[in-house]
Amino acid sequence: MRFALPQSLLLAIAASSCFTANQLSFAGVSRAVLPRAMMNASEPRRNNPSPPDMVVIPGPQKSFLRMAGISQQVPPEEVIPELARAISRIGYSRAYGQLHETEYLLLLRRYVHQARELQELAGPAGVISVEHCADAGPLLQVLGYRLRKPCGQKDTSLEPNGPENAFLTVDSGFPLTQLEGALQNDTSFQYPYRSSRVPSLFKPADWTSVSQQRGISREDLLDVLLGDQRFAGLYWAFSRLDPETATVLQRSVGLVNLLPYASVLEYYGTQISVRSGRVLVPGGSTAQSAWTGIVGVSPLSAGDFIFALLKQDRGWMALYFDTVARVNKAQQARFVQGNRLRRCYDALMERGTKVAAGEGSFRKAPGLLLLFSRQQWLADGQPRIPGNIELWKAVLGKRGRRVNTPEQIFEAMVASSRLDTDEGPLQVYLALSELDMARSPQRSISPAILQVMATSFAQFGSWYPIFNEFPELSEVSITRFLHVAESLDRIQNLELRGNALGIMQANIGLWQILARQGEIPVDQLDSSWRKVIDPFYEVALPVQVFNAGDKSLDTLMLTVTPNGNLSQNELIDLLAGPPQKTAEGKRIRAEVAHRMRLVMEDQRLTPIDTLLELGHGLNAMAHGDNQREKTLALAADLRQFEMPRKIFTENEKIEWVPGYLRQNHANVEMHTDLVKVIQQPASAEKLESARGQLVPFLRDTLVGLNYAYYEPPGSQILHINPLFVRSHDFSALTVVGVEHVWQPSTVFGAGLSAGGGAYLVGSLSDLPYVLAASEQNFIAPESLQALIWQEMVPSLLASATIARWWNISPRELHAVALYQKSGEELLALSATNPQLREQVLAILSERMPPQEIERLTVSLQGKDSAEEIARLLPADTFYLASQYHEHFPHNNSVLGPSNQALDKLEQQGDIRSKKVSRDFGIPHPVLAQTYGRELLSSQPFPAFAGTCDRLLGESWDSNNLYWARIADQLEDSPEALNILSPQLTRLMIAKIFASNVEDWSALSRAMRAAGDEFLQEKAKSTPRTDTTAQR
Amino acid sequence: LEVIVRNFLLCLSALLGLFSAATVSTSAQDDESRIKVRVNLVQLNVAVTDKDGNYVTGLLPQDFAIAEDNIPQKIATFEEGGEPPHSASDVAAGAQATVAPAVEAGSMSPAGDSTVKVSPFTDANVFVLFDTSNYMYRGFIFAQDAIAGFVRSLQGASKVALYSYSRNLSRVAPLTADREQVLEGVRSTVAGDSAALYNCLLLTVKDAARVTGRKVIVVFSNGPDDSSVVPPEVVAELAQSTGTVIYMVSTREAETEPISTAVFERMSKATGGKAYFAKNWEDETKAFASIRDDLAHLYSISYYPAPNPNRGWRSVSVKLVGKDKQKYRIRTRDGYRLQQVKVSEEDLTGFGGEDRVQ
Repeated sequence: MRFALPQSLLLAIAASSCFTANQLSFAGVSRAVLPRAMMNASEPRRNNPSPPDMVVIPGPQKSFLRMAGISQQVPPEEVIPELARAISRIGYSRAYGQLHETEYLLLLRRYVHQARELQELAGPAGVISVEHCADAGPLLQVLGYRLRKPCGQKDTSLEPNGPENAFLTVDSGFPLTQLEGALQNDTSFQYPYRSSRVPSLFKPADWTSVSQQRGISREDLLDVLLGDQRFAGLYWAFSRLDPETATVLQRSVGLVNLLPYASVLEYYGTQISVRSGRVLVPGGSTAQSAWTGIVGVSPLSAGDFIFALLKQDRGWMALYFDTVARVNKAQQARFVQGNRLRRCYDALMERGTKVAAGEGSFRKAPGLLLLFSRQQWLADGQPRIPGNIELWKAVLGKRGRRVNTPEQIFEAMVASSRLDTDEGPLQVYLALSELDMARSPQRSISPAILQVMATSFAQFGSWYPIFNEFPELSEVSITRFLHVAESLDRIQNLELRGNALGIMQANIGLWQILARQGEIPVDQLDSSWRKVIDPFYEVALPVQVFNAGDKSLDTLMLTVTPNGNLSQNELIDLLAGPPQKTAEGKRIRAEVAHRMRLVMEDQRLTPIDTLLELGHGLNAMAHGDNQREKTLALAADLRQFEMPRKIFTENEKIEWVPGYLRQNHANVEMHTDLVKVIQQPASAEKLESARGQLVPFLRDTLVGLNYAYYEPPGSQILHINPLFVRSHDFSALTVVGVEHVWQPSTVFGAGLSAGGGAYLVGSLSDLPYVLAASEQNFIAPESLQALIWQEMVPSLLASATIARWWNISPRELHAVALYQKSGEELLALSATNPQLREQVLAILSERMPPQEIERLTVSLQGKDSAEEIARLLPADTFYLASQYHEHFPHNNSVLGPSNQALDKLEQQGDIRSKKVSRDFGIPHPVLAQTYGRELLSSQPFPAFAGTCDRLLGESWDSNNLYWARIADQLEDSPEALNILSPQLTRLMIAKIFASNVEDWSALSRAMRAAGDEFLQEKAKSTPRTDTTAQR
Repeated sequence: LEVIVRNFLLCLSALLGLFSAATVSTSAQDDESRIKVRVNLVQLNVAVTDKDGNYVTGLLPQDFAIAEDNIPQKIATFEEGGEPPHSASDVAAGAQATVAPAVEAGSMSPAGDSTVKVSPFTDANVFVLFDTSNYMYRGFIFAQDAIAGFVRSLQGASKVALYSYSRNLSRVAPLTADREQVLEGVRSTVAGDSAALYNCLLLTVKDAARVTGRKVIVVFSNGPDDSSVVPPEVVAELAQSTGTVIYMVSTREAETEPISTAVFERMSKATGGKAYFAKNWEDETKAFASIRDDLAHLYSISYYPAPNPNRGWRSVSVKLVGKDKQKYRIRTRDGYRLQQVKVSEEDLTGFGGEDRVQ
């Protein structure tokens, strides 16, 4: 059974903001990297491992997993937890205040019933056996099939007889084909059909006695799970706790008492950890009294503390605890200074408890976690506030009257985290804080400019990350951008406005690519930025827009090359990467450029040199120069574009596509005939205005270059629909309700068969992500039931297309591999070295939730640590080694060969952790509000609704490190990663077989499987034919 | 465009040491100055029927007149039904056209019980694309059953693949001559999720494009598409250009879904296939029988395009020669878009951009 939210619901999620949309499913708890220890409640594993109690699942496990929508790759101990989660999250829907069972749950129940019937047929031997066709009746009845023709006829086959049962039969993967063959040949059919046994958390009876749901059997844990949502939620929540914590809760609070708060524990329980009978509170032992004050119970009374935490303030207190616990220890220490912890909680509760934190389908207040994760502090302990008090008084409006200190501003932001908006004070604060943080004091932005930026946030906020990525851009440049952008918004003609916006944004995009690749000298970043945008100020006529685009591009080219005036091929080469010296580097760069050219070709875009030469030719003719023949030839090239063959009439499109308008842009191009203008006698004015007709073409080509650069691996639209780039709607002409056209693009038109295909509406500010989102579903999962998770995949794809490796030395690449190996080495050594173990676990506790640390601790103390170490994520081992070398620089010589080799490299001085972080990290456009790359040392973020679901993807930073390790192993050049990373990422995505959106272990398995397959395939490379059909 | 790359001139040039095999080539007609030549063979699958829809068999190459952008073309190979291809000049003259009754609704038997005699066909590569989206949910088991019957009945086709689609494509059974593998694939499909028919049909056309020989795609769908990001017209165009015939079987009545109906009819027609609207299981099996019958009666005709400066869409017309044959109807694709074919350098990883077939 494969199940999913209806598309309309998914679209609603996609369209909703990061800070809103709390009503839908797939809410989050912490990641489940690896299975939790399953154990008897009375005997924690660390003390006395014992065989776990088991739950009986009727029929083969494979069939049950299919029906339950659980990955076939989960280990047995994760089966019941994943089932519990699925039942809790998608087994029910709420309408008009009533809880309704979904089709998923109904089918699963029916399947269990059918499986039990089949098991009876299988008998004690556990084999369904049909010796002769004539004996098949009872089995066929259960299966819901019958024979079309009597037994013994060769061409007989099975046909459905009872649709309900038949559906279960095929959906659960019963071997119908083999049965059919046996019946056709009147031979014996034997099918092992045994029940499966999977571990249970605690004793099943501990659970079955808890359910209060009427009308369900309380004998069997499986039946109780299938019949009670809260119960399923509680089971799932407990499965995410570490054993000691789970035991304390079960014993001292009791499962029955926890049942009403199951959803709170489910969402906000994963950071709760009990050790030696007391709760480990965020901020450490010094914070115990503060937490006692908030919760009303001492953390030394673990059970009472946790129970109070869960049941008070309708889940908001638990949310607060969870949020503080998720940030790193340095941040936690800030929150427990003075009475900040209490004051911030009071601020959070300003909006009361009308809305429960544990209700709905998603965690609440994602902004609070962002704020607490990213807040910076001054040396005196005060929060660092961008700008000044007056700025925030203005931003906060009425609420601003009460703020007079940085501390109060910070508290006001905490209060704002509960507002469901994308444009509230907190969002402005987060954006400006990141901007402030990225800049040295010499480059800090004045409060006056920050005020302007705050005022313009709703309109232009999505472009601020570029000022974060390039702190060299001065506040003059920022102001200039805002003024030019506002002036373009004043163009009355929406078509022209869209073209002007597209051309300027595309040129900024080209500037950004060249700047990111180091092709614009650092000392010219600021001046070149202004030269790129200045020409667009106050343009109002088509010819002015053309001239501005021409001049803007020309000056950009002059910045990166000695003489400017590049052909399209030369421009693409530059965008592909900086010129290379090695043969391998040249080859890789040519391959990247080749991919870009294929996009330009398949989008059937007029080359930029044709357009500019034609524009110059018309200009020359207007001034009396005789360039008629040359210009005529160029003008003829414009008319080579052919629209796809029509399948619908215009009337049908108007009838079937609401608001159908959007191929106007392409139609204008189709009807542009400059040949006629040039052939006929024309005045200077007419020739001059003819240049204005080139504006749509210029926009498409420049925008196309941006699309081509960020082409996601495995993309199809870019190669098949030549209207994709042309349809980009920069001025929201084709849709209603888009107020801010400078905000990131959204995909429109999916599923509108007569609409000409999906297209983007909005700006280019977030192009890599939105292109990835458009193309993601073309990746065909390798496993039958695997879904391409929309919450994760676009981020993975975008990270793979943004990252480029042109300035990496082989030593740096080798260092990245060594960091990972060194981390593994440290962990292996720590198994026999308690002091080292304490050090490494302390380091890893910054990145891993408490229950994972506990699991690792148990593993390192036992005999199975090697397997556990091998499963750790590359980002974790990398982080461990880099931190260890930083904090214990003198201990390395006594460690293993990888650490010694890494030590040697570090001592040679050319490996800088900041550069490695920048080169092999991933962009965090939501978390850090920049496309600059970085490796972060934070715990993974949970799933949120709206655009905050991107935090999930931004938490996965292992790919680049792992691909680098593979490249190093193969002795490939660093430049090869420019090809490898997108391809391996695509392959990895096809291999993801996850049970839920936060199934991190599925990502890890897929990543390693992709690496393994690549290594196996490496030797098999052959030349291939490459046509449009094959791109 | 059925791009069968004939490299004989390429090899000759390589022997002469005139150029590197790694360079990008273009067709001779695009750039006469280049030495490297690629000749593209255009293959047409042509159904000839009388006014009642009965298939006309026994026609010869000289009975057909083919033009591309009104430029007459010379037939290179000619094949009828499942017979092996022949050079046009090898086909013996003198055979008589005959009319074979088509499978009709009233005379058909359920799948798996084919009493209608059909011509064998041995060289078709059949891709079955099965809608397993939420739209198909209620009729899923019957649909699965009908497809299983269809696969069983394709005894002569050289290879069959079974793909399923919902939001993503699933390559359930790769192109194989092993029917049991395909049948197991049919039975292993699972229902659920949104429907991206045209996205997945695009990927299927691309897979088919990599296969040499005759290829057809049989789409079995409930009709609606709520998720595709590519429009049907570009998929149809690619199918035309790659010489892939698309048959579409809808499980809805035509009038209930006008947009899908329009697409199904027009897309299949443009590629030389047919659309069927089967509101119940019986109709579905009849549709499959009709497709099987059609496959057995297609003339396969190929030609090397005569020089033509047009680098965009090239229209193709196929007509019958002789007054007595004007009463017959012809169904085939009506053109293709010339594609530039490039031979890339050695792929860096060995498994570059292709979609992988399980």
